[in-house]
Amino acid sequence: MQTQDQARTSIVHRATSGAVLLFIGLGMLAIGWDYPIGRLTQMGPGFIPRAIAVMICVIAVAIIIVDIADAGMDKAGGIQWRGLIFVSAAMLIFAVLVDLAGLVPAMFLAVVVSMLADKAASPATILLYAVLATGAGWLLFLVTLELPIPAFWR
Amino acid sequence: MIDQFLMGLSVVMQPEILIYAFAGVFIGQLIGVLPGIGAITAISLLLPVTFYLDATTSMIMLAGIYYGSQYGGSIASILLNLPGTPSSVVTCLEGYPIARDGRAGMALFVAAFSSFVGGMIGVAILVLAAIPMTSIALRFGAPEYAMLVVLGLLAASLVGTGSQLRSFAMVLVGIALGLVGADATTGYYRFVAMPELADGISLVSLAMGLFGVSEIIRNASNRTRTMTNISVTMRDIIPTRTEARSLLGPILRGSTIGSFFGALPGTGAAIASFMAYATEKRVSRTPEKFGTGHLPGLSAPESANNAASQTGFIPTLTLGIPGDAVMALIIGALILNGIIPGPRLMVDQPLLFWGVIASFFVGNVILLLINIPLIRLWVLLLRIPYQKLYPVIIVMICVGVYSHRTSVTDVVLTLAFGIIGYLMKSYRFEPAPVLLGFVLGPLLEDNFRRTMLIYRGDFAIFIERPISAVLFACTVALIGFSIFSTIKTYRRNVQTRGAHER
Repeated sequence: MQTQDQARTSIVHRATSGAVLLFIGLGMLAIGWDYPIGRLTQMGPGFIPRAIAVMICVIAVAIIIVDIADAGMDKAGGIQWRGLIFVSAAMLIFAVLVDLAGLVPAMFLAVVVSMLADKAASPATILLYAVLATGAGWLLFLVTLELPIPAFWR
Repeated sequence: MIDQFLMGLSVVMQPEILIYAFAGVFIGQLIGVLPGIGAITAISLLLPVTFYLDATTSMIMLAGIYYGSQYGGSIASILLNLPGTPSSVVTCLEGYPIARDGRAGMALFVAAFSSFVGGMIGVAILVLAAIPMTSIALRFGAPEYAMLVVLGLLAASLVGTGSQLRSFAMVLVGIALGLVGADATTGYYRFVAMPELADGISLVSLAMGLFGVSEIIRNASNRTRTMTNISVTMRDIIPTRTEARSLLGPILRGSTIGSFFGALPGTGAAIASFMAYATEKRVSRTPEKFGTGHLPGLSAPESANNAASQTGFIPTLTLGIPGDAVMALIIGALILNGIIPGPRLMVDQPLLFWGVIASFFVGNVILLLINIPLIRLWVLLLRIPYQKLYPVIIVMICVGVYSHRTSVTDVVLTLAFGIIGYLMKSYRFEPAPVLLGFVLGPLLEDNFRRTMLIYRGDFAIFIERPISAVLFACTVALIGFSIFSTIKTYRRNVQTRGAHER
């Protein structure tokens, strides 16, 4: 029974997800406040956004109530920081480089950085693998599919 | 009808046309596997070739790419949790867990077989009922579409393992994301935080982020996730006799649902796959198994989306209305050849019309035949350790998303959706309903606004028009059923918990 008590979470923690949702709904209401509403027979662009925002708020409150009442809720698992950081870095590097330096360098660095998420990978493996993957990507996307992306900087 | 179909079959059976039909489905399937690079890239790649072909042959090849890429999309969904189109999102829900259990081969086989049967039933309906289906589709005005979308969105909130309240919240969030960009009626910019968002959020980045990227984040640094005992013998690919028997009902129900919704121009295949999944979950005696790798939940939507992709040609061929961007390209290829698709097509060009329909029949057979041997090859892909696979998947996602609209912002947004999807799953929110809300939201807004405008804000119109009234009745039944089952599970939970504490 001891372990089960530890797994149970505080009220604040249990209300988190509903609160985030409520925040989204309220944010929508605030941003869309100035959009013209119109009438039911002649709706403006602001009508549906406001209706959806109100519905999100209502559902969010309901979720908060249900979650707080449900004391047996399991705690959300820990975050995989290593995966999160390196996957994010890889995609951001790709996004920055693809216009500046072209597809081939972008693919190469994205593979290298994303492989760092795996603790056990050695530098030699990463380098060799990145070269192979970039070559395959170049063959597939640029030679075979002829995607209109420059391979290297112009 | 049968005579004309046989005439069409004799057109397709010419060796030259068969080769192009084969090329179409094969290339479509291979490119459909690549996430984000779907039928559109494949068709634009082969569009120049069609200049040298006659109209019938080019139509047969392009159509082959279209439904071949549907097959390919399910392969990426099952093996890697990467849905390329909204209609293969549901395939991920059941197919990916089965693959992680080490039975990827069987999942692919069931998907291929269900797709085949669904496609065949879709073709049969196309042959026998193209004209009545057209007249039903023509009766779909704004109120019918609005009601249909409401029904589809409610069905989406039944998808997934979590509570329906949470799923419904995700449908609403999906609709909210669909609002970003210029309003379709007035051109007013809504929620456009940066100029790149003026065209709205890209569906590809939303789907790739919520499903693909979030899954990679979850597993990249996790060494324990390797698949060891993946067997590729024929015996392990074919489902057991009891499993096969349990698939008959889902496949037939899925095909029927798919054939019906496919004929409606717009988002037929996506609604169909979600509806088929929700229906199976409703009629199933073991609804709690859904979401954990339950075969009926894989085969019903697979047969539905393939049936829908066949009957999707009904409005394209008989009315000249393209259901989506790919259909528009196909119509474009027809027009390039000097043929205007529309009600006269069947009369003026019987050989083309029936030849194309017969080619669907042949194409589906070809797909099944090339798919079964290929299953072993695909499964071997999973023998590659995940640590070697995921960097390649990241690059594939990046290139696919980027090339879709040549937008760096889309790549960054994909990452953002990936992180959101990762956090959502930790808090028991399902990503699938977000996607359907996103796809159907604009359709709902557009048709609801139009209905209110035409019928002067009279809500009674939804029950006065017969088709809309039927859809309304289905919606009410669905709501009633979910309230009923929520109360039932709540009671059961209270009872078990009470018993636990005593």
